[in-house]
Amino acid sequence: MTQLHKSPPTAGLEHFTYDNRIVKYFAYATSLWGLVGMSVGLLAALQMVFPALNITAETTFGRIRPLHTNAAIFAFVGNGIFMGVYYSLQRLLKTRMFSGTLSYLHFYGWQAIILAAALTLPLGITTSKEYAELEWPIDIGIALVWILFGINLFGTIARRRERHLYVAIWFYIATWVTVTVLHIGNSLELPVSLWKSYPLFAGVQDALVQWWYGHNAVAFFLTTPYLGLMYYFLPKAANRPVFSYRLSIIHFWALIFIYIWAGPHHLLYTSLPDWAQSLGTVFSIMLIAPSWGGMLNGLLTLRGAWDKVREDPVLKMMVVAVTAYGMATLEGPLLSLRSVNAISHYTDWTVGHVHVGTLGWNGMLTFGVLYFILPRIFRTPLYSRRLANVHFWMATLGVIFYAVPLYWAGWTQSAMWKQFLPEGILQYGNFLETVDAILPLYALRAFGGSIYLAGVVLMVYNLVRTVRRGKLVANEAAAAPPLSDSPAGHRGEYWHRWIERRPVQLLVGATIVVLIGGLAEIFPMVMVESNVPRIAAVQPYTPLELEGRDLYIREGCNNCHSQMVRPFRSETARYGPYSMSGEFIYDRPHLWGSKRTGPDLHRVGGKYLDSWHFEHLMDPQRTSPGSIMPPYPWLLDRKLDVTDLPAKIRTLQRLGTPYPARYDRRALEDLRRQARDVADGLRESGVDDPELAEKEIVAIIAYLQRLGTDIQPESQGTPQN
Amino acid sequence: MAKYLLQDAGVNWLAILALLTFTAVFALALVLVLFRRKGSYREVERQPLRDSYYLLLLAPAPTPAYPGPLGGLTELQQVAAFVMLIVFLLGCWSLIDLCFQLMARQRARLIRQHRPALLRHVELEQLEPARAWWQRLYERLTDAVPIEEEAAIVLDHEYDGVRELDNNLPPWWKGLFYATVAFAPLYLYYAEFSDFAVSNAEAYATEMTLAEAQVQAYLATQENTIDESNVMLLEEANAISAGQRVFQAKCAPCHGKAGEGGIGPNLTDRYWLHGGALTDVFRTIKNGVPDKGMIAWKNELRPRDIQEVASYILSLQGTDPPNGKEPQGDLFTAQTFK
Repeated sequence: MTQLHKSPPTAGLEHFTYDNRIVKYFAYATSLWGLVGMSVGLLAALQMVFPALNITAETTFGRIRPLHTNAAIFAFVGNGIFMGVYYSLQRLLKTRMFSGTLSYLHFYGWQAIILAAALTLPLGITTSKEYAELEWPIDIGIALVWILFGINLFGTIARRRERHLYVAIWFYIATWVTVTVLHIGNSLELPVSLWKSYPLFAGVQDALVQWWYGHNAVAFFLTTPYLGLMYYFLPKAANRPVFSYRLSIIHFWALIFIYIWAGPHHLLYTSLPDWAQSLGTVFSIMLIAPSWGGMLNGLLTLRGAWDKVREDPVLKMMVVAVTAYGMATLEGPLLSLRSVNAISHYTDWTVGHVHVGTLGWNGMLTFGVLYFILPRIFRTPLYSRRLANVHFWMATLGVIFYAVPLYWAGWTQSAMWKQFLPEGILQYGNFLETVDAILPLYALRAFGGSIYLAGVVLMVYNLVRTVRRGKLVANEAAAAPPLSDSPAGHRGEYWHRWIERRPVQLLVGATIVVLIGGLAEIFPMVMVESNVPRIAAVQPYTPLELEGRDLYIREGCNNCHSQMVRPFRSETARYGPYSMSGEFIYDRPHLWGSKRTGPDLHRVGGKYLDSWHFEHLMDPQRTSPGSIMPPYPWLLDRKLDVTDLPAKIRTLQRLGTPYPARYDRRALEDLRRQARDVADGLRESGVDDPELAEKEIVAIIAYLQRLGTDIQPESQGTPQN
Repeated sequence: MAKYLLQDAGVNWLAILALLTFTAVFALALVLVLFRRKGSYREVERQPLRDSYYLLLLAPAPTPAYPGPLGGLTELQQVAAFVMLIVFLLGCWSLIDLCFQLMARQRARLIRQHRPALLRHVELEQLEPARAWWQRLYERLTDAVPIEEEAAIVLDHEYDGVRELDNNLPPWWKGLFYATVAFAPLYLYYAEFSDFAVSNAEAYATEMTLAEAQVQAYLATQENTIDESNVMLLEEANAISAGQRVFQAKCAPCHGKAGEGGIGPNLTDRYWLHGGALTDVFRTIKNGVPDKGMIAWKNELRPRDIQEVASYILSLQGTDPPNGKEPQGDLFTAQTFK
C-alpha cells in the first residue's frame, strides 16, 4: 500500500477550467443570508426580553422564529453547503461542473425559495411543522431545485477524471439522497388552496414523521454535508494527510445508518408508543461514536500542525467548529436518555444545545471556508488577518455567551416547573413566575448573540475588502490526465475501494442504509392500529374550531406553547391529565410543539372563560401581568376568511376525518351558529363589537376552549399499556 | 528502599503514592466500619435513597426487593459494599502486580551482575526504562502511528493534494462504539421486555402513589390543617397585607386591583354569587367554579394563603372603589361573617 502509482506517462494531460464564479455567488449568498438570518434571530431573542418589539402581525415572535430557523438553516447553511460543494467537487474530481446552466438555475432557484420563505412566513403562510414550515408550492419548488442540484452533482461525478471518490463526496451523495427522501416524506400533504394544505398523517403519526424529518434535517443538512466540507477544507488548510482512512469509512456508514433511527428522541415521554421512544434512545446512544469519528478524524488530522492553528484564522475557526460538533453530538445522546430529557425537554436547554451546533459547528466552519476560498479565487491575500482573528474570538465568545445563559435558564425553569411544596402543591403554580425568573438570562443570551452577529459583520467587511483588492479568476485553469484504469488492476486493494469507484452503487447503498431506520419506525406506526388506541369520545373539530386551529397555526402559537402534557406529577398537577395518543387522531398537522416559552395548552379548554381569552389575546398583560406574550389585536380587526372552509372539509374527508357526507355544504352554517353563541357570550361580559361573530378571535377562542376536552379526567385512573 | 524502587526498579513515584493512599484509605475505611457503634449507622439505614441518585440512571427507582447475599443490606450499603469490593480487588491486583515487577527487576539485576550474556536470552534487556502504566494505557488506547513514521502508512491515492493515512481505528473509540452497540439490546430488553420494564404510564402511577403517601405523611405531622370547616377570619395587619399581596398577584387580573370586578365579579359589594361567608369564600377560592371560569387555586395556594386572601377580600366589603362592576348574585347579610 505504501508505493505510489504514478499515472501512466503516455496518457498526457487534459486541460480544463474550474468554475469559480458559481462558488463566488454561493459565497456571497451565504454571507448575506447569514447576516439576515442572524439579525432575525437577534430580533427574536430581544422580543423575549422586550415584548414591545412584536410590532405588527408580521413581526410577532410566532412568525419570526420560523423565519429565523429557515434563514439560518436553508439560506445561511444551505448556501454554505453549495459554496463548499461546488468548490471542492470540481477539484476532487478534476473536472468542471457538469453544467453551468444547471449551476446557475440551482443558484437562482434556491435564492427564489429563500425569498418565497421570507415573504410567506411573516404572512402566516406556514404548515407549522418545524424546519418544514413552507407551504406546498414552495415544497415543490425545493424538490425541483434539489433535483437540479442532484443532476449537476451526479453529472459532474460522471465526467470525473479521478477514478475513486474521496470521502467528502460520499458525504455529499448521502446528503443529497437523504434530504430528497426526507423532504418528500415529510411534505406528503393534500392542498386545500394555493397556500394551505393538510398533511397525509395525523397526530402521533404526523409527529413521528415530522421528527424523523426534523432530526435528520439536522443530520443530513447541518451535519453530513459539513463533514464533507471538513474532510476537504481542513486537510487542505492544514496541509496534512487525513488521520485515518478506515475511520472515515466506518464512521460514514455508521453515521448515516444510525442517525435515521434517532428521531423519536424528540418525543420522549409524549404519547408516542414507548417502544418507539426506546428505539430513539438507544440509537442516539449508538450515535456518539460515529459522530465522534468525524471529530477525531478532523482533530487528529491536525497532529503536527497545531503551530499553524495558532497562526491561521481558517484553521482556528475549523478547530472550534469541529470541537463544537463533538460537544453537541455528545450532548445530544445524553439528552436522549429518558431521565435527562425529563429535565431538558421544552426548556431552553434544547435551544442552547442546538445553537452550540449551529453557531459553533455550522457557523464557524462556514467562516473558515469563506476565509479559505475567497482569497484563493480572487488571487489575493486576506485583507486583514487581524480582523479575522478578532472575528474568531467574537464568534467563540459569542457561542459561549449565547449558550451558557440558556443552559442556566433551562435548568432553572425546569427545576421550578417540578418544585412541589410539602403540602403537595406546586411551589410555582403560576407559569409566569418561572418565566420571570429567567428573563435576565434571556437578556444575556441576546447579548451573546449580538457579539456573534457583530463578528459576522466584521467578517463581511473583511471579505468585501479582500474581494475589492483582488480579481476573480472566474475560470481557473487546471490539468489532469484523463480517467484511466488503474494499470496495476485492483488486486490487493482495501475492500472499500470497490464502491469508491462506483458512484451508482454508492448512491444505492447509501439509500438503502438510510431507508431502513425510517421504514422500521414509521411503517409499524402507520400500519399497526394498536399503536394509537382509539378513544370513542374523541370527535373531529367543528368548522369554527377548525378555522380557529388554522389561525393558531398561522400565528405560530406552537412556537411557544406545547400541546402535550407528559405523564409527570408536575405536569398533571399544573395542566391536567396527561395527553394520550388517541386524542390527536384528527390533528392535521399535530401541534405538540417543542418548547414551552408559555404554558402547555393541551388541557386549556374550559379552564378560563371566553372573556378571559378575549382579554388575554387583546393584551396578555391585562390578565397575566408580566407576560411576555405579544398582543393579537388584529384577531378582533379581521373578519374570519371562510372561503376555503368547504375545500378544507372535503380535503379532511379525503384524508379520513369522518365528517358526515356532503358536510362541506353545511359546515358554514354550523360555523356561523357556533360563532354567534361565542360572540353572544362575549357580548354579555361587555365586549362591544357589532360584527363580533364574524371576527377571527371568535374562532380561535372556540378552538382553545375545545382543546383537550374530549376525554374525561377519570378515564386515566389506571395505567394503560 | 525508595531509591531502589525509583531508580533501579524504575517504578514511578506516582504509582507508589497512589498505592500508599489507597492502603491508607482502605485501612481507614475498615477501622471506621469495624469500630463504629452499631447505632450510628442505623441513621444511614433510615435514609432512603433519594430520587436524585437515579437522575443519571435510565429508569425510575426500582422497588426494593433484594435476594442474594446482600439481601439484608439497604441500597446505600449495597452500593458501598460493591464499591469497596471493587476497590479491594483492584488494590490486591496492584499489590500482586508490584511484587511481580519487583521480582522481575531483581532477577534482571542479578543476571546483569553475574551472567550478562544471558540477558538477551531471557528477554529482559528491554526492561528499562519502564513507562508508567497510564503511558502504556494511553498508547494502547490511542494507537496512532507517530508523525515521524507516518510516511510508512500514507495511502497511495491523493485527491487534489489531500492524502490519507492508514491509521488504525483509535481503540478507545472502537471500545466506545462497541459498548454503545452492546448497550442497545440490553436497554431495549430491560425497558421493553424484562420484568423490570416500566412503561411511562406505570412510572407515572408509581410517582403519583409515592407522592400521595409523602403528602399524607407530611400533612399528618401538621396540626389543625385549615379547611372550609374550621377556617377563621384573620384581622391582624400582617395577615391582611399577606392576603393583599396574593390578591394582587393572582386575583387582580380578573377581579380588579381594588376588587372592583372585571372578567370576574365585584368583590366589594354585598352581593355574592357563591355565598359571602368566610367559609363560602374560602371554598370558592379553593375549589373554584369551573363552569363560571373561576379557577381552583388549591394547586397553587396553601390553605393558610387562601385563608389570608379570603380574609383580605372580606376586608374590602363596602370600600366601593371607582369603576365598580354592577352587583351580581344574592345580597348577603353581614351577621353571618363570623
